[in-house]
Amino acid sequence: MSQGFSYNNNSFNVANTFNYTASDDESKILAWLSPLEPWVRHRDIGAERVDGIGAWLLETEEFKRWHNAPREDEFNHPTLFCDGNPGVGKSYIM
Amino acid sequence: MVALIGCNNSSLVIDKLCDEAGEGDTSVMCFYFDFAARNEQSPVNMLGSMLRQFVSGLKKIPEAVVRDFQKQKNGIGGRGLQVPGIMKMFQAIAATKRMFICVDALGECVPEHRMVILESLRQILQGSSNTRLFMTGRPQVRSEVERRLDGVATFISIQPTEDGVIRYLRDKLRKDTTPEIMSNTLEAEIMKLIPEINSETYVETSARERLP
Repeated sequence: MSQGFSYNNNSFNVANTFNYTASDDESKILAWLSPLEPWVRHRDIGAERVDGIGAWLLETEEFKRWHNAPREDEFNHPTLFCDGNPGVGKSYIM
Repeated sequence: MVALIGCNNSSLVIDKLCDEAGEGDTSVMCFYFDFAARNEQSPVNMLGSMLRQFVSGLKKIPEAVVRDFQKQKNGIGGRGLQVPGIMKMFQAIAATKRMFICVDALGECVPEHRMVILESLRQILQGSSNTRLFMTGRPQVRSEVERRLDGVATFISIQPTEDGVIRYLRDKLRKDTTPEIMSNTLEAEIMKLIPEINSETYVETSARERLP
């Protein structure tokens, strides 16, 4: 039996926002890859987030370089790590 | 069918990445560590979740993944999925696509798992020049990130800003379920004192962190 299934429920991929009917096997394969559902936590955080808080991060040179610069740029690192003490709002920034 | 979530105004960095990617060939994956869920958030489940999100964004599940699934289905017992198997699938399908991997609260991942996960993320970055990794965590894990990722990381310290604290307080006061017991004087005091306390706490914490 097939079931209604939206790929976008499992992904933050922006290229494919379509819905389609996946076979049982496809759903089983996705569940086999991982039973975890981080998008649930993502949605919960989003519901609590206050607009505008942390927006300064997007304006930093570090973020812009990480986001836009080509990998060949010797000063550009592929990893950006934001550290902060508990409660400063790190999860809301992500 | 369950409701769609996608990229709809629910975060800062993830929204930005999704918005700017537009209709391009970009995948944005995320993971939130939680100490209370440490048993389920094993390296296999975490990395599997990344792969699941990546695969979910494709029009068709790649052959490499289907093949491995069929293989384990014919085996005896267990889920049969291991970290090396996930990494092999990642390398087979993800090398050419632009990927953003976002990981929250790295410090809430147990050290034994964290070691495996950081090593695996390092391998993903090494194998795919189009991949970017965004992580958050407590300052205590910073040196570990630096060491495990061969020093190829940029670091930013997250501190509460006065504007952020004020916005947060205003939001909380607006959503107060018992506004009748809030007086104008108390509200004004909250709006004045808490940002000041926050600022003092931050100065004190910063000074302590700088001590040898």
